[in-house]
Amino acid sequence: MVLIVNTTFDRSITDELKKQMDSRNIDAKIIETDSLRISPCIGCNFCWLKTPGECSVKDDYEIILKNLPHADQMWVISDTALGFLDHKGKNIYDRIIPIGTMYLKFVGNQMRHVPRYDKRTDVGIIYTGNPDVEYLKKWNTRAALNFEAGSLGVFSTDEIKEAVSCMC
Amino acid sequence: MHVLIINGSPRIKAHSNTDKILEKFTKGMTSKAATFKQYEISDRKQWDDIRKAFDESSEILIAIPLYVECIPGLLIEFLETLTPKKGDARISFILQGGFAEGIQLRCGEEYLKILSENLGCTYGGTLVKGDNFSIRFFEGEQRDKITSRYEEMGCEYAVNGNFHSEKCRKFTGPEILSAPVRLFVGLLQKTLAKKMFARIAEGWGCTKPLDYRPYQ
Repeated sequence: MVLIVNTTFDRSITDELKKQMDSRNIDAKIIETDSLRISPCIGCNFCWLKTPGECSVKDDYEIILKNLPHADQMWVISDTALGFLDHKGKNIYDRIIPIGTMYLKFVGNQMRHVPRYDKRTDVGIIYTGNPDVEYLKKWNTRAALNFEAGSLGVFSTDEIKEAVSCMC
Repeated sequence: MHVLIINGSPRIKAHSNTDKILEKFTKGMTSKAATFKQYEISDRKQWDDIRKAFDESSEILIAIPLYVECIPGLLIEFLETLTPKKGDARISFILQGGFAEGIQLRCGEEYLKILSENLGCTYGGTLVKGDNFSIRFFEGEQRDKITSRYEEMGCEYAVNGNFHSEKCRKFTGPEILSAPVRLFVGLLQKTLAKKMFARIAEGWGCTKPLDYRPYQ
């Protein structure tokens, strides 16, 4: 299953995605966050040490946490600011941390959190605006490592066809 | 030198590791006659005051915990509301994280250069250091053992006005841990560390195993 999280107010992006995905019979679940309340991560670490796997911030992010252990891919559609994802897009990544555990191990020569679930969810970005694309690509690759996953790439909203070609 | 300091941690001040680091860092700064005013990004009631201080300051320092390889979403939300300066200010950063290896913080550090440009400021460098996860679990001398190393860096910053010196660069420590250390730490993580985490969790009222899967 491909999980799409649209953090922008622009549903024409997901309309276009739907069209493209339907033509390729891609099993997708789309979450539009414009009607949801998703707060930032507050760094409490409760998801690791008090309520394992559950976020202490009780808002609509839980729907993402429920879907992630069953998704092969997650695509975050985000506006950009200051050369990077805007705060809404970054919040989606920051709040993923309950899918890791407090336990640590070395992968290669770097330490990582031991994943909570068996499934690995690769991540991709579809962005609006003018971020520093090279940095964003590098960052997404690095962010994915934290979930023992891979980067699916970083695409502008003009490259939806290319993004869909990476979906399975 | 007078410095606007922004604690960019979303965690409330009482539990903020970044704040404990700043306590020592500013002690070093003031010993070299620098002055500062510190604000907390975790307290939205301060945001108007921080914006005003940003507009009026020429020397700015943001202390940041690494969140998924970059800066926290809450800090981005605040920074989005700023009017960029016109090159008339210098901005420096303290970037800290839980993992011990310097390499874990480099992707975040790279963004801070991009951010400085987007905020219209001259980049004063970033003081990079990991291995800070346990700060909140300790008090007194045990905590000081971890945080006091920042005092000297506060002196260094007050004297130079940036983090470009060799001393600051070396402060990061090893980029990756040596193979024998990895072997030892890896073993520790499978044994003693698990017990320690379980003890902390119990103290926090946790009733489930730490690898519990609520959404399986």
